[in-house]
Amino acid sequence: MRLVVFVYIAIALIALVPWYIDQRYIFHIATMITIMAPMAFSMALMLKLGQLSIAQPAFMGFGAYTAVLLSMSLGLPTAAALVAGGLMAAFVALLVGPVFLRVKGVYFVLLTYAFGQIVFLIFQEWTSLTGGMSGLYGIPKLTLFGFRLRNAEHYYVLGLVFTAVCYLTILAIEKSSIGSIIESLNEDEMLSLSMGANAISWRVAIFTLSGFIAGLSGGMYAFYIGFLSPDPFGFRGSVELIVINTIGGSGTILGPLLGAIAVVPLPELLREAQEYQLMIYGLCLIFFITFLKNGLVSLVVRRKE
Amino acid sequence: MIVNGVLAGLIYVIMALGFTVIFGIMRIVNFAHGEFYMIGAAAILVLFGTLGWPYLLALVAGGLLAGTIGVIAERAFFRKLARDEMPGMIMSLAISIFLQSVMLQYLGPSELAVERPFTGVWRLGSAVVPWDRTIVAIGALVILVAFYFFLRYARLGLAMQAVAQDPETASLMGVESGIVYSASFGIGCLLAGLAGGLMAPIYTIGPYMGELPMLKAFVVVILGGLGSVPGAVLGGLLLGLSESVLSTQFSTGVALIASFAIVMLVVIVRPTGLMGRSSR
Repeated sequence: MRLVVFVYIAIALIALVPWYIDQRYIFHIATMITIMAPMAFSMALMLKLGQLSIAQPAFMGFGAYTAVLLSMSLGLPTAAALVAGGLMAAFVALLVGPVFLRVKGVYFVLLTYAFGQIVFLIFQEWTSLTGGMSGLYGIPKLTLFGFRLRNAEHYYVLGLVFTAVCYLTILAIEKSSIGSIIESLNEDEMLSLSMGANAISWRVAIFTLSGFIAGLSGGMYAFYIGFLSPDPFGFRGSVELIVINTIGGSGTILGPLLGAIAVVPLPELLREAQEYQLMIYGLCLIFFITFLKNGLVSLVVRRKE
Repeated sequence: MIVNGVLAGLIYVIMALGFTVIFGIMRIVNFAHGEFYMIGAAAILVLFGTLGWPYLLALVAGGLLAGTIGVIAERAFFRKLARDEMPGMIMSLAISIFLQSVMLQYLGPSELAVERPFTGVWRLGSAVVPWDRTIVAIGALVILVAFYFFLRYARLGLAMQAVAQDPETASLMGVESGIVYSASFGIGCLLAGLAGGLMAPIYTIGPYMGELPMLKAFVVVILGGLGSVPGAVLGGLLLGLSESVLSTQFSTGVALIASFAIVMLVVIVRPTGLMGRSSR
C-alpha cells in the first residue's frame, strides 16, 4: 500500500515538472501526456469489459472534426464546440455500440478495427468537409469562460484538470455498484444476467462514456495544435494506446496513467531518430508481454485476485 | 468487371486463408499478416527487380522467406501465447510494427514499383482481361489447390485439422502440438508472402503496404467465419465481386463502406460468420 502512495506523490511531482524547467518544449510534451492519458483511459475502460477497442482514435477524430468544423464553419463558441465534439463521439459510440458489443473477443477487435479504418478513410476522402490529407488550418484557440487559451502552459492546466476529472470519474465508477456489475459481467455473464443485470445496456453505456472521453480529447488536441489532419486518428493511434496500456498495465486505471507518462514523451525525445520510433514501440511491447505481462502498475499494486 | 472481381477475390482468399489457419490452430489474431504479405512483395522487388532472378523463382523464394520468418517468430514469441487471445494479439501487433520499421529502414518511406513481368491483354467474350492479372489468378488458383490437397491428404495437414478441432484429443492421439503450431504459423505466413509476391507487380511496394490487404483479410474472415477454411474462400470471392461491382458503379470509398456495412449485417444476423462454428 505504501508504494502506491509514493507513486501518487511521484506523479503529482512529475505533473509540476514543466514549471521547474520552464521551457515551451517541456510544456508541449506535458500537454500531450494530458491529452493522451484520457485517451488511454478510454481504451482501458473497454479493456475492463474484456474488450480491446481499436475504434478509440476514430472517436477522438469525430470529436476533433466536430469541434473544429462547428467553430470554424458555423462560428459556434469554441468551448461549446469542444463539448459538442465529445457528445458527437459519444453519440456515434451509442449508435454502433449495440451492434459491436453483441460480439466478444477477437470479433470485437476485428469489428472496431474495420470501423476505425473506415472512419479514417472518410476523414481522408471527404476532402470538401475535412480538407483530406492536407488538413484544416487556422483553427481558433480555445476560449473558456472568457479566457483565451493561448500557449502550451494554458492547455497544460486544462489538460491536467481534464485528466484528473477523467481519472476520478473512472475510479468512482470502479468503486461504485456499476463497477461491481461490470466485473461480475466479466467473470460470469450467465450468473449476473440471471441476477437481473442488463449486460448489453451497461456495456453500451461504458462504450458511450469511452467515446465521450475520446471525443473531448480530440477536441482539445485540435484546438491546442491548431491544425487538423486525419493522421493521428488512424491505426497508428490505436497502436500507441495499446502500447501505453500494455506498458502501464490495464488492470487498474493507474496503469494507463503510468503508461502515458512513460510512452508519450518518447516520440518527442526521439525527434532526431523518428524512424526508430516504431521499432522501439515494437521492442517495448515484445519485452512487456514476455516479461511483465501486467505492466508497470503490477510492480506497484498487487492485483487482488 | 466480374472477371476482375474474381481475380481480386482470389488474392483475398489466400490472405484470409493464412490468417484463418493461424487463428484456427493457435487462436492468435495475426496483426502482422499484412507484413508477411509485404515480405513477399519486397522479395520480388529485390530478387526479381534488382537481381534479375526469374519471376517465379523470386515468388517462391519470397513465400519461403515469409514462411521461415513466420516459423522463427512463432517459436520465439508466439508459442507460449498460443490460445491466449489478448496477449497473442498484442504480440502480433508488436511484430507487425517491428517488421514495418525494419522495412522503413531498408527501403525508406517511399512507394516503389517493380516492372511488370507480364504485359498485354486477352479477351473473354466481351471482357478484356490483362495478362498480369490473369497470371495472378492462375498463381492463386494453383496455391489454393495445393493448399487443399495439403490439408486433405498430407499427414501434417490432417494433424493441423485435428488440432484446430480439438487440441486435447489431438494430443492424446499423439499429435505433437508444437510442430503443428510452427507449421500452421509458417504456412499462414507463406500464403501471405505468396499473395504479396503475386500482387507486387500490380501495386507499389512500401513499408505500409500490408495494411489494406490485412483490412481486407479481416473483413473476409469476419464474413466467412474465423477459423473456417471454406468460409475464407466464400468470403474472399464475395468481397472481391462486391468490391469490383461497387467500385466501377460508384467509387472505391463507397465499395469499402458497403463491404463494412455487409460485415455489420453479418455480425448482427450471424455473429459467427457465414460458415463459422457456433461453439466458442
